[in-house]
Amino acid sequence: MEFIKPGTYIDFMKYRGPVITVLALMATLSLVSLFYPGPNYGIDFAGGTEVQLRFTGDTTSAEVRKALEDSGYARPDVISVEDQPNEYIIRVQEVSSLPTEQVEKIRETVAAALGEGVLQEMKVSPGGDKITLRVSGPVNEQQLQEALMAGGANVRSVNSLTGSRNPRYEAQLVGVADELMTELQERFGERAPADALRVEWVGPKAGEQLRDAAIQSLLYAIAFIMLYVAFRFDLRFAPGGVIAMFHDALITLGIYVLLQKEVNLTTVAALLTIMGYSINDTIVVFDRIRENMVRVRDKSLRELINLSTSQMLSRTIVTSLTTLLSVSAFFFLGTGVIQDIAFALGIGILIGTLSSIFIAAPITELMDRRLFSRTRG
Amino acid sequence: MDRGWYFRLAIVVGSSVLGFLALWPSVDRWLPCPDIVKETFENQINPGLDIKGGLRLMYEVEVDEYIRDRRDRIAEQVQRQCGVLIGVVPEEEADDIDRAKLDEIRQRCKVERVDKDGGAVRAIRITFSNQEDASKLSKTWVKDYFRDLRVASGVGDLVVDLHMREEQLANMRETAVRQSERTITNRIDSMGVLEPTVIARPNDGDIIIEIPGAQESSFERIKSIISRTAQLQFKIVDDESDSRSIFTTPPEGIYLNQGAQTFAEAFGEDARDRLRAYIATLPVPDDHELSIGRQEPDPDRGGEGWRTYYMYRVADATGEDLDDAAVGFDPQSGSPEVDFTMNTRGASRMADLTGRSIGKRMAIVLDDRVESAPVIQGQIGARGRITLGAYLDRNELLQEAKDLVVVLQAGALPAPLRPANEQLIGPTLGQDSVRKGAFAALVGVILVVVFMALYYQVAGLVADAMVLLNLQLLLGVMSGIGATLTLPGVAAIALTVGMAVDANVLITERIREELRLGKSPRSAVEQGYARAYSSVFDSQLTTAIAGVVLWQFGTGPIKGFATMLLIGIGTSLFTGTFCSKVLFDWLVRGLRVQRLRVG
Repeated sequence: MEFIKPGTYIDFMKYRGPVITVLALMATLSLVSLFYPGPNYGIDFAGGTEVQLRFTGDTTSAEVRKALEDSGYARPDVISVEDQPNEYIIRVQEVSSLPTEQVEKIRETVAAALGEGVLQEMKVSPGGDKITLRVSGPVNEQQLQEALMAGGANVRSVNSLTGSRNPRYEAQLVGVADELMTELQERFGERAPADALRVEWVGPKAGEQLRDAAIQSLLYAIAFIMLYVAFRFDLRFAPGGVIAMFHDALITLGIYVLLQKEVNLTTVAALLTIMGYSINDTIVVFDRIRENMVRVRDKSLRELINLSTSQMLSRTIVTSLTTLLSVSAFFFLGTGVIQDIAFALGIGILIGTLSSIFIAAPITELMDRRLFSRTRG
Repeated sequence: MDRGWYFRLAIVVGSSVLGFLALWPSVDRWLPCPDIVKETFENQINPGLDIKGGLRLMYEVEVDEYIRDRRDRIAEQVQRQCGVLIGVVPEEEADDIDRAKLDEIRQRCKVERVDKDGGAVRAIRITFSNQEDASKLSKTWVKDYFRDLRVASGVGDLVVDLHMREEQLANMRETAVRQSERTITNRIDSMGVLEPTVIARPNDGDIIIEIPGAQESSFERIKSIISRTAQLQFKIVDDESDSRSIFTTPPEGIYLNQGAQTFAEAFGEDARDRLRAYIATLPVPDDHELSIGRQEPDPDRGGEGWRTYYMYRVADATGEDLDDAAVGFDPQSGSPEVDFTMNTRGASRMADLTGRSIGKRMAIVLDDRVESAPVIQGQIGARGRITLGAYLDRNELLQEAKDLVVVLQAGALPAPLRPANEQLIGPTLGQDSVRKGAFAALVGVILVVVFMALYYQVAGLVADAMVLLNLQLLLGVMSGIGATLTLPGVAAIALTVGMAVDANVLITERIREELRLGKSPRSAVEQGYARAYSSVFDSQLTTAIAGVVLWQFGTGPIKGFATMLLIGIGTSLFTGTFCSKVLFDWLVRGLRVQRLRVG
């Protein structure tokens, strides 16, 4: 079987104008979308609330998810717990939060109620579900709870913590989880559990630090790849490959943002994968151009690019097709995050294939004209 | 077929068998694995945080402790600089003042550590004994020598209070949290391939650690390794001074041992805490301290025992000067211990300390706990050892020695950590999603295999065999090193499988081109491989460069992704070029096919 007949020669460079225009437009649009509307960060980046509970009657995760969506939670994760019928982990993006003025007011009220110098430190947990207080000596828990309530904190219970030098107390606040429980009780009636088994604030798995590390390592990676390409091929080839790689990741991210799909750690992994695929795809075409530069002496670089791309077209199509085949299996048969990653990879592969031909190679030709204008026409 | 071919075949078959054996323990559930294989390949693939859930720990860095510690060190320098200020020692000797001179300096201007407002303000108080010395101190002097301090009150008076500068406090907070983060990451990394995520939040003064796939059984060990401060200090025990007077009548359950030296001891479950509470009430001189170490257990008095040591507060050498640590065994008793080596600076300090203290006891203090206090027999240099007290079970001791090596090598935490939240968290992916994902993966592989066979026919079948071999090797390596499989990791595997197919596609396309030129199958295969090598190699190597960089600089999930990517590139280069060539050679040289069907 052959998709592309041997000896086919397509003048790709003739079409580069319109294609580059479209791709550049997409890239610009993607760049804009990063600021407006901006990425819809998932729990991985933004944090959220996790509740584990067991229903008293039979239900399915789909039913629970539907009920939560109807209650106004955006994209709740509902995960059935292995080997525990009707037990679910629910994760929503909402977190309870206390405004700073409110925290200040609580602090003042408590400090006044406890007496001079007793309250040493008061901290609200990042999830807004707990307040921890450090005091110079033991205080009455009841009195502490009243003081917190007077300050405006919706306290459920106060416990003393042991094991540290100074006495500490922890106040549990009424938060997102309680609201969620109430919603479920309304919708499920008797089947709904009376209490959650576990309520946690889930912090962002991927904070600034991870983002910074990712950006830093990507910059290094780009630098080393450029060096390698410049050394193994020559300087003309380096920028094209790297720009194409960037371009692919940018457009994929842009499409993600425009569709308001959740950006999470998986998305980051998908972007890294796309960049890997992109540079791989580009280098293969470059390799053929380099080979033809030695073998075919009487042609301009433009013609060489056309020739090489045409020669590699069969391979490009087959590789893209096989990768798309396995990705589409994930897209049609997988669920949730797996579907998302497959979606991103699918877009990335299509864009990556286009960019190797219409971005990487033309930039190389442009570089060639700038750098070697005297030696080659 | 020639000898070389059989040799290459042996490599292919051997690596495949090895890969399978390494993978076997991971698929024990479906294909029972014999014990001998399990013993040889101890590791298996761990499902990651998103697939299986894991451990989530949140620690508050006791920044106050760090600041107090810094203040204590600065106070030490202030005392020495005061010696220069009042003219007892010349400036160049400020770092090296002997005990007699120090006592003289203390007589004339005493430096004390003072806590105000219930510990909210850490201050240093200088008390001069005469007005003449006091008049030498100026704001400029403080500013010149101690940029962390400012004069709070009393310039020119006999009593001067110095406070830590507020802007420096913020920096110290940040430093304490960042340093803790680095140390924790090192410690977890040295425990193996756990793919941890460590997030520091200096503004909140806390650190979040997530370790995927951690089992409840290893929970305690991980927690203790992370939260151990691991501050190692060497201090001289003061057996000469009479410490009897500082001990007040102890409460019940604490005994005063009035032998050659006086010390307090306690036995039983909470003996250590009781002893600590008692010594907190004692009037210990500012340059001395009472620390607690293990004592021989006394069954009559309630079991495990603890005692006090009276020693100089100044640590003459610390774990900061440590170069390396390893588990060792006592030559006589065979009991596990920790051997360590000091770096040059540490070695010279140690030699100095031990040289002038022969006959005295040196306490090895780890996190406010005296591990041992041997008598110094002679000068000690770079090497030393920490005996762990022979009162514990041997296996426990061995585990403790191993853990101690981990924490000593990773360095000390700048401040103690206080657990704020320790929990096992649920997976991101439900069981049903994992099952559907696995099914999708299977369908994906079948689609690719069928397509390749249809499109490239015989060459397609070769490529198919390589895809399967590659998957098997990849999973085998992952299992062998005990890698953690997360969703980003799955993405990386998908990428490498795609790229492995790509290598075969490149080669097959080349063989096609050569065949079209009318070459024989044998030379077409030779030429096809020779020509395709460079593109296969370049494309994989470029991706590998990205992988290495991501692995080097990335943390947590990024590192996991990079690990998978690198392993995948390795196995797909091996199967795509080396293994497939063996198969092709067999076709064109062994079977001598006249027409190679490549579609």
